[in-house]
Amino acid sequence: MPHGSDTEIAIRVDDVHLALGDDPPLAVLAGADLVAPAGEVTAIIGPSGCGKSTLLDVIAGLVTPDSGSVVTSSSGRPVLMPQRDALMPWRTLRDNVAAAAELRGTPRSDARALADREVAHVGLAGFGDHYPHALSGGMRQRGALARTLLAESDIWLLDEPFGALDALTRSEMHRVLVAVREQVAPTIVLVTHDIAEAVAIADSVLVASPGPMRIVSRVRVADAGPDAAHEILTSLRAAGVNA
Amino acid sequence: MITAAQVEPVVPAPPAPRRRRVRWGQVAAAVALPLLLVLLWQVSAWIVQPREWILPSPATIASTGWDVRERLWYHAQWTILITIVGFALATVVGCLLAAMIARSRVAGLMLYPWIIVSQTIPLVALAPLLVLWMPDFGAMVTLAALISIFPVIVAGVDGLRSTDPELIRAVRTLGASPGWTWRHVRVPAALPRLFTGLKLAAVFAVTGAVVGELVASDRGLGALTRLSAGQFETPVTFAAVVILALIGIAMFLIVATAEWAALPYSRRGTRPGSN
Repeated sequence: MPHGSDTEIAIRVDDVHLALGDDPPLAVLAGADLVAPAGEVTAIIGPSGCGKSTLLDVIAGLVTPDSGSVVTSSSGRPVLMPQRDALMPWRTLRDNVAAAAELRGTPRSDARALADREVAHVGLAGFGDHYPHALSGGMRQRGALARTLLAESDIWLLDEPFGALDALTRSEMHRVLVAVREQVAPTIVLVTHDIAEAVAIADSVLVASPGPMRIVSRVRVADAGPDAAHEILTSLRAAGVNA
Repeated sequence: MITAAQVEPVVPAPPAPRRRRVRWGQVAAAVALPLLLVLLWQVSAWIVQPREWILPSPATIASTGWDVRERLWYHAQWTILITIVGFALATVVGCLLAAMIARSRVAGLMLYPWIIVSQTIPLVALAPLLVLWMPDFGAMVTLAALISIFPVIVAGVDGLRSTDPELIRAVRTLGASPGWTWRHVRVPAALPRLFTGLKLAAVFAVTGAVVGELVASDRGLGALTRLSAGQFETPVTFAAVVILALIGIAMFLIVATAEWAALPYSRRGTRPGSN
């Protein structure tokens, strides 16, 4: 696969198999491979329900695979940002963000001060006292992003983070993510079903087969140039996706 | 470090002017129906002049109630005490059972079906037995608790099982332990539903207390309705019923206020602008 051998690898998933449920077990991952170069955005694109989210759970360490290996270079644990903002409705924006620091053992008052900083970083200064339901979808996702920042992990797993937003807010969030990423440079694995989103944000795009999932091809966005979207679409169709 | 300038900031909307005016139109709409019915009752009592021991007029009920206020208060204290203790017992035991059922699969299988089946027993029929087994006060409290525990358990279990799995997934990757997740995610997520159950339970507890007193006690407003009706003191019976209704309303309002205080995020009017 064409990624420079001099690049450091942040995540390496090798031939992971996983079946879930008991009766009968359903194969979700069938030999999934993934290589995510450090500091890059690697998008996984595939049909819904194919097992992309489960692969993220495996990388996050929430689910142990039946076989295969997952190696991450991260000093801490990877942090996951789900599709719905997953903010706690009973906590203010500040306290939601502060949870990331509290869970690392930071005392609450310090955690709040850190949270205020990150809330300002994602452009939400002045909204710290608001409860999530008083914020728009885009603002809540900014809040989730602030929490992800405060987790201080160098691996971010984004599970269709903007899938529930309208098109305008989504492109706004793309700009926010790009701006944040230029400063922090985490390794990002982005699960999406939106080709335009993958091309706009990712350095390389992995095309997933319908479940049980494997990665069937890899497209370097910079190498493919203006043909990237077309190349991804062709791979999806070759994998049997009705795209 | 990132600076705010590089991320397009969201500009806070100016705070909406807070108007906390009492809306008299709404208040009027809320009390119009009962007022109208009482008025109608009073007017027809003037016209038809039914015998007082069959159907006293609202004015008679009010004046008799005032005359026997010490007797009413003597009985009301007892009923209020039983209601509160029974409701408290149902809340504590109900929450514990709900937590066990939601937390452990085995406990869920062992307890939950039987708790549901137990609701097919007319609990009123247990009152004479309970009186046989324990002192009056204990029997009444137990009956009030038994009748009001069911909504607490059902609402508690539903609430604890309703946690957004995405939320649990997110906090786990932030390093949350199961204990942290329980305390900071699952329990708070259950509270809105639990309060719905508690509001029902608060009203059911009054019913439980009254039923116990009706069947097997000489004290309490339930007992007073039985005794006074038996002696054709119908206005007293009505007065007792009115006070029971007031106790039920008060119980509901107390729990609703507790809910308002405990769940600041669910209050209306905390939503700014058009977001």
